[in-house]
Amino acid sequence: MITFTFNGVELTAREGQSVAAALIAHNERISRLTRISGKPRGIFCGIGVCFDCLIIIDGKPNQRSCITEVKEGMVVVAQDGA
Amino acid sequence: MEHRHQVIVIGGGPAGLNAAKYAANAGCEVALLDSAPRLGGQYWRHTGIESDDQSRHHNFDQGSLLMDAVIANPRITIYPNTTIWSASVINGEVVLRCQDGAFITSRLILATGAYDRSLPFPGWDIPGVMTAGAAQSLLKGQGVIAGKRIVVAGSGPFLLPVASGITSHGGKVVGVIEAAGRFAWLPEILTLLQNPAKISEGLGYILTLRKAKVEMGFKQAVVAAHAGSDGLLESITVANIDAEFHTTSTYSIKCDVAAIGWGFTPDTSVAGALGLKEEVAVDGSVVVAVDENQRASSAHSELHIFAAGEITGIGGSGLSLAEGAIAGLAAAGSRSNLRELKKLRRKAKRFALTLQRVYSIPEGWQRWLTPETIICRCEEVNYGAIQDVSEKFGADDARSAKLMTRCGMGMCQGRICSRNVADLLNSPDSDRIKGVYRPIITPITLGELARDGLL
Repeated sequence: MITFTFNGVELTAREGQSVAAALIAHNERISRLTRISGKPRGIFCGIGVCFDCLIIIDGKPNQRSCITEVKEGMVVVAQDGA
Repeated sequence: MEHRHQVIVIGGGPAGLNAAKYAANAGCEVALLDSAPRLGGQYWRHTGIESDDQSRHHNFDQGSLLMDAVIANPRITIYPNTTIWSASVINGEVVLRCQDGAFITSRLILATGAYDRSLPFPGWDIPGVMTAGAAQSLLKGQGVIAGKRIVVAGSGPFLLPVASGITSHGGKVVGVIEAAGRFAWLPEILTLLQNPAKISEGLGYILTLRKAKVEMGFKQAVVAAHAGSDGLLESITVANIDAEFHTTSTYSIKCDVAAIGWGFTPDTSVAGALGLKEEVAVDGSVVVAVDENQRASSAHSELHIFAAGEITGIGGSGLSLAEGAIAGLAAAGSRSNLRELKKLRRKAKRFALTLQRVYSIPEGWQRWLTPETIICRCEEVNYGAIQDVSEKFGADDARSAKLMTRCGMGMCQGRICSRNVADLLNSPDSDRIKGVYRPIITPITLGELARDGLL
């Protein structure tokens, strides 16, 4: 088991899981708010094509959560505007 | 860093794996590139954890045998996590740029696969609405069930393994919604029966769904999604539809996930960047044109560029394996007899074309749209805006619509919307082909460009 944080809350994940999958497993479905209308978005294509699940990982914005593996101690934050 | 290889294969799914294997067995030194951390592509997805039950998978044994053979082959070097952002021909060679340098070859095999085709409808941007492929990749690749009450919808045989996979791993599927009729396949029964393995696979899924008492609706489609006060998916509107997608009546289903797939769109980005000849297939998707040896047509006739699998037309793993094998042997310049492989390919192709006919998507989904419905998810361009520029400013092709509304200019570079925009504007084939052209294949930072000395 791996421990990471999402919006400041500690969550667990399985080794090798994507950030998006780890979040879905905890029923966390919003990875970002859109930059024009501020609407919530989450995983859509699940395979790195659509860029809807963008998220901030360890301070770096615009990361595709569906194709980024979660790592121990990762700091994940929903992105406001992308 | 520069990597030179005799043969380079892009894509580690069924077509790419088989291409690499056959080219290596014919004596070539091969590099196999894939953007994912693990081989298998979208079809043989797996968690990569040995103790895990990979029975989520149909046909996984065949996949793991092939993957093991490729990994063990000393002539094949595997480059996982390798995303190509540019492909060009320089001094008579193909140069592929990725995050850690360039790959160079004069013999290239493209097996870049496909992704779900999505059709827009009001509310399809609400978190919880996802592609059928997303639900499948969460289950097969991650061991996660996408939600608590899942609707699987759209059209085509792929909906069955998705719904049955979720059900047999303890998830609750509250409806399978198929746009085609229950017996839509009946007129094609003779062709279908020539592929008994596929028929029994399909029956297996249906049996699983029956046992779990999953409701299956035919001639129905999800035409709207609704969010709760938390902004997440709460329910969907399902319409009973006729063959042209006219709505006759509607009902609603409470769910937290709607996994919707309307077949697949080939990912021809690398082929397009290389200027390979493309054409529009019978299902309306843009595919790479190939000859009987899977060779693509390039203005640089000295190059040997091949394409195999879904990018030459959606057809499933059997067809991909046959095409990959032929491409691998042809790229290696092998003189071995391709007759058996070509026979296999012909049979698989016939089956694929039959399924495309049975599950063809008619024009008519446009009727579900309201002026507020998002068409381009990245740039949040709605149907009203596209209608506006088309009616008032004569934007009758995707490029004009894009310049005036920004549709297709966002991060996914039109991968999700370009086909739908082309449908909305009734674009001719030439526009559809132009619409999938992206000089930069994957978004990169200016820093990455500068590092490679390209700025």
